Order: sequence, then C-alpha cells, then structure tokens
Amino acid sequence: MGRTFRMILCDQLQWGAAGCPLTPPLDLELPKGSLTAVIGSNGCGKSSFLKVIAGLQRPLSGRISVSAPRFGGIGYLVQQQAIDRQFPIDLRELVSAGFWGQRLDAGQRRQRLEQVLFEWQLDGLEARPLQALSGGELQRALLARASLMQASLLLLDEADAALDDTGQTLFWRHIHDWVRTGRTLVVVSHDLGRVRQEIGQCLVIDRLGCRYGPSGSLIGEAAYCQVA
Amino acid sequence: MIDQLWQPFIEFTFMRRALLGGLLLAVSAAPLGVFLMLRRMSLIGDAIAHGILPGAALGFWLAGLSLVAMSLGGLLAGLAVAGFSALVSRRTGLREDASLAAIYPISLASGVLLLGLAGKRLDLLGLLFGSALAVDAETLRAILWVTLGSLAVFAAIYRALLLDSLDPLFLRRVSRYGPITHGLFLGLVVLNLVVGFQAIGALMMVGLMMLPAAAARFWSRRLLNLIAIAALIGMASVWAGLLLSYYASLSSGPSIVVMAGGAYLFSVMCGPVHGLFRRRYLSIPQ
Repeated sequence: MGRTFRMILCDQLQWGAAGCPLTPPLDLELPKGSLTAVIGSNGCGKSSFLKVIAGLQRPLSGRISVSAPRFGGIGYLVQQQAIDRQFPIDLRELVSAGFWGQRLDAGQRRQRLEQVLFEWQLDGLEARPLQALSGGELQRALLARASLMQASLLLLDEADAALDDTGQTLFWRHIHDWVRTGRTLVVVSHDLGRVRQEIGQCLVIDRLGCRYGPSGSLIGEAAYCQVA
Repeated sequence: MIDQLWQPFIEFTFMRRALLGGLLLAVSAAPLGVFLMLRRMSLIGDAIAHGILPGAALGFWLAGLSLVAMSLGGLLAGLAVAGFSALVSRRTGLREDASLAAIYPISLASGVLLLGLAGKRLDLLGLLFGSALAVDAETLRAILWVTLGSLAVFAAIYRALLLDSLDPLFLRRVSRYGPITHGLFLGLVVLNLVVGFQAIGALMMVGLMMLPAAAARFWSRRLLNLIAIAALIGMASVWAGLLLSYYASLSSGPSIVVMAGGAYLFSVMCGPVHGLFRRRYLSIPQ
C-alpha cells in the first residue's frame, strides 16, 4: 500500500507503563478513510493505544507513524472528560473551539456552527453555561466540536458511553458521515452488539496478542471466549 | 461630606499618584486573578510574591536603594521561582502547588538572610507590605507601562489561555502554543506582583489580584463579565482603601486589601450566583 493511502502504521509497537508492555509487539496498517473499532476488556490498553496514536504518550518500543498534520490533524475525544463545569463559558463557546486555526469569516463560522449544533440536536442550548448541561449534552457538544475540526483522523474513546438512545443513533450516523467524507476513524467502544453491526473491521487488544480482522468473526469469538 | 471622597486626591499630589497607580494595578491584575482562580492556582501568587524577596534583596545589596535594581532582581527571582517549580512539576510529576510550596520558603528564607548579610536592614515590612503613598512619578510611569503591556499580552493570548485552562489536552492537539501561553501567563503574574510591590507591597498585591477575582465569581457566569467586575471591585477597593488610610492614618496597602476583603465577604453573602443568602446555593463544587 502506498504511503499516500496509509493513515496509521504500527511497526512492532508496544505501549503501557514503563517496563510492563500491555501486549506483544503489534504490526498494524490502517488505510486512509478506514473505520476501525478497538475492543477489549477493561485495562487491556485501549485508551493508552489511542493516546499513543494521538502522540500524547510515548510508545515503549517499536514505531508508529501517523500521516496527519501534527496540529489540528487529529481529533481526540478522551474517555473521561476532565472539563471543569464551573468554567464560566457557554456551550457555543465550547463548540466554537473546533474552529481553531481555520480561516473562515464570521458569516461562514456562524452558518457552520448553527449547522453542527442542529446536527447534534444542540440547537436551543447555545447559551447554556457548562454547569447547566447534562453529561450527555456535554458529550454531544464535544462531538460537535470534533465535527467542526478539519481533522483527518478522529480518535473516539468510549464517546458513546454517556449518550441516550437518540444520542447513540446520532453518534453512529455521524461516524458513517465522517467516513464518507474521507476521514479515518478509530473508535473504542464496549457496545459490542453495535460495533458488530456498524463497524466492519476491528482490533481486539489482548495481553496474549492483538487480533485485527472483520468484526463479525472476531466479536463472535470474543463472546465465545468469555463463555468458556 | 461628598467632598471628602475626592478632596484628598485633589489636594495632595502623593494621594493622586497613589490612586492612579492603584487603579492601574487593579485593572492589570484583575484578568490575571480571574484566570489564576479558574486554573485552581489561586495560591500561586502568594508563593511567587514571597519568592520575589531574595531578588529584591540582592538588588538592594548590589545597588543600594535603587528601584530599578530591586525590581529587576525581584523580577528575575520571581520568574526563577515560577519557572523552576513548573520545570520540577513537568519533569518529575510533583504537583505544581507542592512544588511551589517547597521552593518559596527557600526563597523567602534566603531573602531574609541576604538582607541580613547586606548589613543595613532594609525595611522588610515595607517590601512585603509597601506604601502607596511613596509612589513617585518614576514608579507611576513603570506601573503605567506594565499595565499597558500586560493588558496587550493578555489580549493576545486570551483565546489560547482560555482553552489551556479549560481543556489543555485539546489545545495540545490543535496548537503548539499551549506551553508558551502558560509561560507568558505566569510571566505576567510575576511582572504585576513585582511592579505592585513598589506601590502596595508584594503580599498586598496578591490580595488585590485574588480578592476581586474571587468576589466577581459570585456576580456572573460569563468570563468577560467576571474580568470586568473584578477590575471594578479592585478599583473601588483602591479608592476606598486610600480614603480609609488617609482619614484613619493607617498603612495604605493593608487598607486597600481590607476593602477588597469587605467586597469579597459581601459578594459571598449576597452575590446572585450561589451566594450564601440565595436559595440555590451550591454546596459541592462541581
């Protein structure tokens, strides 16, 4: 596969706390525009893997290369948002941070913002202070902020966890929209049924060895293993 | 009666200078105080203010009672204290407040020892608590430049600073300016404390920075309003504090801070945003 078509390349990659890698060395190549689920039990190293891709954590050994610009190229939604709810700004200001580094005039920004708020069913909540938002609303606001970014790679760490049924539907619809517009997505989720239904390829992270392949077969296998 | 609120400032040049210097400092310190509060770094100003001492003492030792030498020394010491503690916490994982709490007593103690070595005893109390009534034209000009400069820098880094305080991980992903913003912000805090120690004393300057910011929190939920309210509370405290110090023959720095403290207590009780006397109080910080 040519360099231009590749988004992520892991070469004998290991990660985790110093001295105790979480998995055997991983070789993996994810093309541009691909959609990949990352699954595995608690503590297996899914979140750390995303951090390594995002460049926020150094790998223990091996190499990883990501063909996205260092700044603004990767949208990363962390698992537990440490956002201070007392921070005196409103939802509109939080979402607008997604415009960082883009050259748009005020009219374009307003139009784009309105559209994204509508898409995430946040219209009407623009002026709410962060304190008055529910967990799911805050999560949708952060997803809306990611929508505004020009990131070619999106890393979502259990971004569906706080969402209700409607939110889930919105979430998965956006995942497919993002892929359709050429973005690459890596999604961590515990909702195996949904993953199996919505995402074609998945990476199972396991301390005995990671497996990458069609979700249909891998998830069936994982469920089987749990029973046994 | 009303005349008495203005009369001292009209009659005496030193009162006018003190007022002008104090008002400028209040405006310049307000946004810094608000952001220190939002970043949960409210006590860092206090630590830095103590850290300034050895630099000022060294300046005094080398060049005598020279304003420029003492300010420069204070500035360097303050930046060193803030920078070293930031370095320790970034490289070793020691929390930044613990790191600062460890270095400022070292700094304070060595400052007192340096002053002792200098032989002549510089008025330590004067350095920590200052005297607004001693603001001369030169100091006033310095305060004016620092105010203009720090407001300009603050405006330039405002957006990055906001994101760095709210969601540093996000800023790190979209921009390279996170660490620079953090550094510039701490630099501004040090600069304001140093220029403030001439006028109302390093320790009192911390009060003028933090009290209006903490008080403003009870009046608005919007960031820009918070900054404006903090500046207004600071300015009112300077004015009322100088009058108190004039009519009651009290030391000016503490008078100003006591007034700011009064504004804070009033806000805690009566402020519309989670004040004590409001029905919808917030007992657990969320």
